[in-house]
Amino acid sequence: MKIEDIENRIALYGLISRLMMMEVDKTFLESIHSDEAILEMFPNYRDWSRHQELSMDMLKEKYYDVDFANLFLMHLVPYESFYTREDQMIESGGDNPVVSLYNALDFRAELDKVRVVSPDHIGVELEFMFMLCQALKKAYEAEDSEGIKEILEIQKGFLKDHLLEWAPMFLINMKKESQTPLYHDGAELVLEFLLSDYEYVTKNLPTAVETNAFTF
Amino acid sequence: MTKSMNNKQPAFVESRRTFLKGTAYSVAGATLAAGVFRTIADTPAVAESKFTPTPKTLSFYPPLEQWDSFTELDGHDWKRGGTLRNGVANSDNPNGIKATEYMLVPLICSNCEAACGLTGWVDIGTYKQSQDPKDLKVRKYMGNPLHPASRGRNCAKGYAVQSQMYDPDRIPFPLKRAPGSKRGEGKWVRTTWDEAMQTIGKKMHDTLKSGDEISKKSIMYHVGRPNESGFGHRVLYSMGVDGHNSHSNVCSAGARQGLTHWTGDDRPSPDWANSKLIFLQSSHAADAGHFFQQHAGFIADARKKGAKLVVMDPRMSNSAGMADLWVPIWPGTEAALYLYLVNRIVNEKDPKTGKDYIDHDFMKNWINWDVLIKDKEYLAFMVSQNYISRLPLGETYEDFVKLLQEMYAPYTLEFAAKECRVDAATLSKLFDMFIEGGDKVTTYFWRAGTIGNRGGWMNVRTAVLALALRGCYTGDVGNNGCYGFHEIFVNAKGDAATEAGQKPEKVDVWNELLFPPDFPLSTNEPSYLLPHLLADEEWQKKWISKGLNVPQKLAVYIPRMYNPVWINPDGFRWIEVLKREDKMELTFNLSPTWSETNWYCDYILPTGLAGERHDQHSEATKPARWLGFRQPVLRVALEKMGWKPTDPARATLEAHMKAGLGEVWEEIEFWANMFVHHVDPDGSLGVKKHWASKEDPGKPVTIPEWYQAVFDHVHHLKAAASKDPKYANSKYPNYEMMRDMGAWLEEDNIFKPQERELKNENGVIESMEMKFDANTLTVEPNGVVKAKLVGSEDVKAMGLVVGDKVVEGFKSSSRKMEFFANWMKDWKWPEYAIPIYPTTKEQREKMVHIVSQIHHDHMQKENDFALNPIFRLPYNIHTRSVNSKHLMEISQNHNPIWIATSDAKRLNIKRGDAIKVTIADTVSGLESGYFIAMAVPTEGILPGTLACSHHAGRWKLQNAIEIPGFKEKLGVMGMGTPLYEMTMDEKEGTLEPKQGIDAGLMERRSSWQFKEYNRDIDNIWWDGLSGSWQNAVAPTHPDPISGAHAWHQKVSIELAGTEHKIGDIYVNYDNNMKVYQAWRDKLARPLDSTNTTRRPKELKRPVWALTDKAWSVNITD
Repeated sequence: MKIEDIENRIALYGLISRLMMMEVDKTFLESIHSDEAILEMFPNYRDWSRHQELSMDMLKEKYYDVDFANLFLMHLVPYESFYTREDQMIESGGDNPVVSLYNALDFRAELDKVRVVSPDHIGVELEFMFMLCQALKKAYEAEDSEGIKEILEIQKGFLKDHLLEWAPMFLINMKKESQTPLYHDGAELVLEFLLSDYEYVTKNLPTAVETNAFTF
Repeated sequence: MTKSMNNKQPAFVESRRTFLKGTAYSVAGATLAAGVFRTIADTPAVAESKFTPTPKTLSFYPPLEQWDSFTELDGHDWKRGGTLRNGVANSDNPNGIKATEYMLVPLICSNCEAACGLTGWVDIGTYKQSQDPKDLKVRKYMGNPLHPASRGRNCAKGYAVQSQMYDPDRIPFPLKRAPGSKRGEGKWVRTTWDEAMQTIGKKMHDTLKSGDEISKKSIMYHVGRPNESGFGHRVLYSMGVDGHNSHSNVCSAGARQGLTHWTGDDRPSPDWANSKLIFLQSSHAADAGHFFQQHAGFIADARKKGAKLVVMDPRMSNSAGMADLWVPIWPGTEAALYLYLVNRIVNEKDPKTGKDYIDHDFMKNWINWDVLIKDKEYLAFMVSQNYISRLPLGETYEDFVKLLQEMYAPYTLEFAAKECRVDAATLSKLFDMFIEGGDKVTTYFWRAGTIGNRGGWMNVRTAVLALALRGCYTGDVGNNGCYGFHEIFVNAKGDAATEAGQKPEKVDVWNELLFPPDFPLSTNEPSYLLPHLLADEEWQKKWISKGLNVPQKLAVYIPRMYNPVWINPDGFRWIEVLKREDKMELTFNLSPTWSETNWYCDYILPTGLAGERHDQHSEATKPARWLGFRQPVLRVALEKMGWKPTDPARATLEAHMKAGLGEVWEEIEFWANMFVHHVDPDGSLGVKKHWASKEDPGKPVTIPEWYQAVFDHVHHLKAAASKDPKYANSKYPNYEMMRDMGAWLEEDNIFKPQERELKNENGVIESMEMKFDANTLTVEPNGVVKAKLVGSEDVKAMGLVVGDKVVEGFKSSSRKMEFFANWMKDWKWPEYAIPIYPTTKEQREKMVHIVSQIHHDHMQKENDFALNPIFRLPYNIHTRSVNSKHLMEISQNHNPIWIATSDAKRLNIKRGDAIKVTIADTVSGLESGYFIAMAVPTEGILPGTLACSHHAGRWKLQNAIEIPGFKEKLGVMGMGTPLYEMTMDEKEGTLEPKQGIDAGLMERRSSWQFKEYNRDIDNIWWDGLSGSWQNAVAPTHPDPISGAHAWHQKVSIELAGTEHKIGDIYVNYDNNMKVYQAWRDKLARPLDSTNTTRRPKELKRPVWALTDKAWSVNITD
């Protein structure tokens, strides 16, 4: 495991959590366009002819925001409890499956900052991974191999027990339902990245556990 | 996404990339992330709390034992992460989640007639800290899970009670027309309840003091939807006055008439939940009423079990939209459709079993066929009418069946399809579904079909025949019973708490303004004709010359939560009469809100809304007997916390003033005070004793005393209260138990009550809630058992001999269901004594009394239409919802004129066009005027018909009034009523919209009442101009038999000119008077010298017992 890997994970989790949490804004779109490697992950979006016809603001107003509302507010339900509870209810109270985990790690989700109704929203869960990656970076820089191990274990557990339990179903639906290349590519990117990240964590964890040694 | 796009990309798993290889991303994740998370170094320690973050089910209600103190988290809890994170707010933790301590006080909704249970959530925590009663606020109204029929659920109107309570324009204190001003000038002064009671009480005293016949017809109490079980009746009759007027003849009198002919009971009581087919006529039961939310819930239960739904209505209502079959029928031809079903039932056999479709067991035992088959004279009359071709050969049941087979054979599929304008395939499908439903077909007859059309009552006569033939009117599981078996009507029965200790006497006069001699069969009072009867002096003179003592004016007119000006047809006539002080000498409205009628009254006395008054209220919404108890929640909360009123007989008024709601009172306390202190202070009129307390002589009866006595009549309730250790030692156990619970199930699963065997217990037999002396039994030749009432010389039918038993039977005089209403012969209507409908144009002209005034025969020009104005909008309730901002918001722009797309295309009418709708009468040929409304073409309506609900189109003439000496202005119906300009000159009237609701409110956004609750006034966006006051244009159409107002109108339409805008109306109300007179003179069959009673004894005389002298009549020709 290298520091570059952790930084890339931070960048990607930051990007995708934001994409899944609320409507895009100019800063966000500009940052996609600013990095060829990132833009590469949105191939249909990159090649979309509308970029030539309409300004970024107009695209946001006429297409992206409409698609976001459709995918995240109206027709699909981007919440873990909807997919995992038998009665398909969104668990917005303290019995939410992820709240105790957040609390145990002293993380607090401030839902009033964004327009989501419960902390198991896909965007919030992805941002939780982002927060863990930042913690991982700190542990790495502090050469705290115990901490690294612990965080990787948490990440593996969170991916396995939560995100990968339900997000693929949502993301496949999202890809099908999407009306813009931005969210179509976005859905694909998140799904591929989550699967790949789980492989990455799984691969690095035994090394950490067994050897208790990293190359800092 | 497009396929091509997907094709470019390989499947998810295969394409998995190695995200972490290659160049580092330049994007800084931290700047992109939304930043939902923060670490909790700075968050407060979380205290243990009792709160369950999420209830286990949606139907969560606090248990009854916690209702006096239940603490609930603030609604923002979920968003802030719950108490696990923030703790509960207190002085050490100000940023914790707010928890409010509530007292839950049960009550009954009062917005429609269904009487669903509610709980008022009174915030007592804030009050406990501040000790300021003005901090007592009802934060919300929720359901009452103890209510056996509403089951904790409510519709939008139920939850809106809170916004009605805290409406910034509610009337905060009694208002009096300014001295020197005329009625309708809009000049008001503030007065007190005591001044109003003194002035009004003196007028009533002086009126009654003369003691003559006219004095007992000169006080009128006009009740809109009563929403209580009988108290209002007692108000009048305790004075010996025949003056209780109702609204039933603009609401349900058609259906009630037809049902009374059959069973003596005027309403059905279906067991929806267990039926197999729900066959609705008009939009009512599952849409907006009658008993909307409860009925809709039971219908949903049945459908969940597989029941089918059929809706017969020219308009695709909400229920029709989700039905298995929609039958868009020409309005007023329903009887033809029912008789088509009857024809096939009596003339065909089940092809699968080869058996008859008729339920012979039921028909033979419970239908009065034996009376018909022996009445040779009437059978000969039937032959002369061509109902049958020859007399039956014998007098057996089989002969009766043969008669049915011949009589109903002409109602073929071909005839029904043509007459009803329904395609034959739909009718055939309906028949199949009707048969498949077996004996489990349920229905309700209220609204458009039965009150929209002349002869609407006959559509019920024919419908019940179809149902009875299939065994669907036995009152068994899954079919239809009678209303009277399923309700508890005791709100007037507090007599034991009064000095008199017994019920007031029978009334000794008959008021012609309530039951005019022109319409002796009128189901209820044709109250919509009151201004016509008062204004038509020729009519008065005519009947006076024939020997009747017809009142020519009213001394006191009291609308009670009623808005007759706006709700009735021919509204300008109402205004005209209300303005005349020689016709209505003193008027006051017991009204919690402003209304069009209040504008023309002398006093407006603010009585309470749902959570501000006491009533016992029960309705037959399922085969059970339950009751609900409506309560003033702030008063109950204060009393439970130890507050005591200065005057126990004025506790509700005192509590409301103390809690800052305003000088809002309730009728029970008001009337008790009126009679004891003002109408009959020295008891010389014999009225005081009925309202003075037995416990505290000379003082008005109090609420606990009254309801303790009222609930003594509810046996199981009384027994439960006396056994419950919580109440057993209390002075008023019944009252206190109901105060805590708000709802009571007295008896469940009441099926086939007519078959109940009567029991002799110590010489007393109880039947139909009456007690009979078992030693006075006599049996009539037809098996009817009669006996004297206990303690009275009155002899009444008690039951019926069936086999070797005496059973209760139906409420009809034969105690059976009456196919043959033989008394109709004696009342000049022999041709309609049996279920019948004309089959040819010639017959329709002859039998005009039961043919709709908007029959398609009358549609001559290409722009002639039949207009249906009477369907409720599910979130509005006549005049009671205008003060709820929530209901007003969701009802905006929902009331256009529905027009079929084919008709709209033909007439070049597009969506949103203003159209001019001109009303013309098909009896007199006179035009009434027009209203301008917005057209919306739709596939959801039968071509040739239009629909536009008369539940919208409120108006006011001023946005606010100034009260001398009071610094604030009083708003007038600001949430739901645009500003209009009116002209009227005794013959013609106009109304034109001047300003929308939004603009009106912005002028006075700093409304002073309930400021905190109304901070969102700035958000009001609606102008409210989507309805017209079409009732003002509509002339009255008194049905010659039921006396119901037949609401539907024949109209012609055209695009409105540029001089018109939506909301405009023009009325020639002089013509409307002539229309009324034409219907009366050309169609009715009034009393004459052959009559000895005022109306048939077979029809109830609402709503109190009258003496034989009052019933008797002697008309001199």
